[in-house]
Amino acid sequence: MAARIAARCCWLVLLALAWVLPVQGIERIRLSIGDIRAPGLSVQGVELQFAAGSKGPELRIAHLALGERAWRGLHLSCPEADAAFPEIRCRRGEIRVGAKRLPLRIDFRFDPLTSAFDAALRLSSGSTVDIRHDGGNLVEVVLTRFEIGELSGDLAGFAAQVSPALAAELAQYAAKGTVDARLAWRQAGDAGPHEKLQLQARLSGGSFSSPDGLQAAEGLALSLDLTARALAAGWDWQGRLAWEGGEAYLHPLYLRSGPVLQAEGRLNDDELVLRMATLKLEGVDQFALTARIAREPPSLQDLTLSLAGGDLAILGPHWITPALVPALADRLRFAGHVGAGAEIRDGQLLSLDLVFDGAGVSLAGVDEGGEVRGRGLAFGPLSGHLPWSATAPTRASLQVQGGYWEALSLGAFDVDALLDGGQIAFGQIRIPLLDGALVLDGLALEHGAEGWRGQGGVVVEPLSMALLTEALGWPSMSGILSASMPGMRVSTGEISLDGALVVSVFDGYLQATGLRVSEPFGVASNLRADIEARHLDLAQLTDTFSFGSISGYVDADVKGLELAGWRPVAFDLRLASSPGSYRRRISQRAVQNIGALGGGGAIAALQRGVLSVFDTFGYRELGFHCVLVNGICEMNGIAGRGRPDGGFPIVRGGGIPALDVIGYNRRVDWQELVDRLQRVIENNAAPELH
Amino acid sequence: MNARHGVPGWMRWLMAGLLGCMMAFAVQAQGNLEIDTPAISALKSSMQKRHGQLAPLYASGAIGLAADGSIALRDASAVPLAQRGSVNALVAAENADRSALYREVARANQHPEWEADVRSTFAQRWIDRAPAGWWVQRGGSWVKK
Repeated sequence: MAARIAARCCWLVLLALAWVLPVQGIERIRLSIGDIRAPGLSVQGVELQFAAGSKGPELRIAHLALGERAWRGLHLSCPEADAAFPEIRCRRGEIRVGAKRLPLRIDFRFDPLTSAFDAALRLSSGSTVDIRHDGGNLVEVVLTRFEIGELSGDLAGFAAQVSPALAAELAQYAAKGTVDARLAWRQAGDAGPHEKLQLQARLSGGSFSSPDGLQAAEGLALSLDLTARALAAGWDWQGRLAWEGGEAYLHPLYLRSGPVLQAEGRLNDDELVLRMATLKLEGVDQFALTARIAREPPSLQDLTLSLAGGDLAILGPHWITPALVPALADRLRFAGHVGAGAEIRDGQLLSLDLVFDGAGVSLAGVDEGGEVRGRGLAFGPLSGHLPWSATAPTRASLQVQGGYWEALSLGAFDVDALLDGGQIAFGQIRIPLLDGALVLDGLALEHGAEGWRGQGGVVVEPLSMALLTEALGWPSMSGILSASMPGMRVSTGEISLDGALVVSVFDGYLQATGLRVSEPFGVASNLRADIEARHLDLAQLTDTFSFGSISGYVDADVKGLELAGWRPVAFDLRLASSPGSYRRRISQRAVQNIGALGGGGAIAALQRGVLSVFDTFGYRELGFHCVLVNGICEMNGIAGRGRPDGGFPIVRGGGIPALDVIGYNRRVDWQELVDRLQRVIENNAAPELH
Repeated sequence: MNARHGVPGWMRWLMAGLLGCMMAFAVQAQGNLEIDTPAISALKSSMQKRHGQLAPLYASGAIGLAADGSIALRDASAVPLAQRGSVNALVAAENADRSALYREVARANQHPEWEADVRSTFAQRWIDRAPAGWWVQRGGSWVKK
């Protein structure tokens, strides 16, 4: 460092000669100097020239290198020189680099005896750079209203000469802003054994933008306080950087001012080390990190961070959702607290620890139009520890106190899982549901290029239909629902379940097989299944739905049932009286309702008189067939009983008094049919007969 | 000698039959991209609804149609800074629907494994049908139609 200072002083002495000599009446002087070299400084081809009667002394430097930056063809001329022993003054000096004149003026004062000097550079924008050397160990540089934009504007050419990479970067990012800064550089000496730097800087009205706008900031106000001390191993530094104003978009995160970084570390030729840093961030009680960043090329090598008291309600929408699942930004909500620790070694994530405390997550439902609707799915509050390591399997354990899925409340349950790289193997998860439970057995998931895949088994432990229907707001039914689906497969966009879901209801049973759920969390959420129902007691069924009264039993087969948003959109339904001997009666109301559902004209005119006379009628069989496609139900009645007039019997009378219900309308709008059924059930009133 | 006369009649029939089968297979293998299911309708309706928000972004060049059947935030600087996050969420939601659409069309054709082909066919179609002034990705770079 002393050598550098000596070299600089030598250079300045030569400069001084340029002004001293003319005073002594010399007509013309030309002085050439060889190279000046010192660590970080290289001056080659220095030539000082003075001619009596000319504008003033001129200094030319063929090549000047400071650190990694280099100038070629540097030329300083000083039209207003003034030498009054012991000082030399220059006013309105100009600097040229090559053929280009830099848009600045330089005034300086130099005392060759003490080596003290003051220099003021005035840029065309009005910015000033003041450099002061006390002749001893202190150099101060003060930037006043220095416009960063000038480096990409007037000074672009200059910047390109200094560092093409930096100039290109600045031009590309269109960086702007005003910097006020004070740098004090004190050499080792009487004041202390170490070289020291002290920097206070403030950026205001800062902005930048990458060409694609994905990294950008506006209205930036930053303030930096930094002190550094040179040691043999590099610079030991500590500082505080506060983001005091403005906003930034660092894809995919939108951030606002507020964060304050306080850090200390070391800088040497190879790397920047953050020994300890704390970051004040909205929604976080404590955030500490250490890091090691390689300088050539710049890359994050090591990082450890720890976060305590993270408020998920704030971190969720600002950090988690945009970074992980931006598509669900409107629907995903977080609550509670999280603590986190992470470690990166040699650029690779080594471990990640998450600790949840009273945390909650909910995903609002969505209708087929894409509108947020319904309660959706939620878990929480949940607590527990989720560790992950790149080198060894880890065990995660979460205690979930409850949740809900639409209208159904979920009880408390525990989740234990073995995490191994991109694989998760869950222990049995038993989620209490009403008086039963949903049990996930041996669920194993793997994250690959196409998303999550996995398999496992699902069991629904018996739960009462009375409670289920009450919770769902359906007409009350008695019975039991249970399921055993050992072959569950999970892939991107689909969950398929091999096995059967069985509901014992209305004295019979209903069995769903081939269950497949597609796009479970999107607008196209879709459930497909085949259903087989046997021996359903019509008396209970019609009573439950206030449909009049029918005694007897039916079997039903629903092939290719498809539900979108829990509404049937496709199926092939075949319903027929169960075989066997049992009492078969149908009430006047039920006849009327079936007739109304048939769309009018369902009861032969001749029979209408009979209908008004009796309360109940005997029947031989019931039959109904509906193929729902594109919102239209293609109807048919009892199999093999088509009539020559195109009608199809839905109820075939038998006994005394007997009555047939004949359908004539084979194509019925499904929504209209559902609306009619809804009215029949809700109004509990006899529909109008046609 | 005319080659036609050299081929026995039965062989011509066989060849015609084989060709017919191959063509039939090809038609079968192409699948029906126009297939409609309730899930596909729901996706199209959701995308249609979102299109009102996306249209000015296509027109300004903020977003463009990518070659892989997705849409991309290609020039966020056309959007005010504070809205870039929500535009990114909008793009992600559209891409989630598009991915679901390609899966669903492949599923509805009874060939879930066709998803990648469906995606690339749709990608080409979106690009071909894009109005003038929109940005589309061709050969790895963005061009304005």
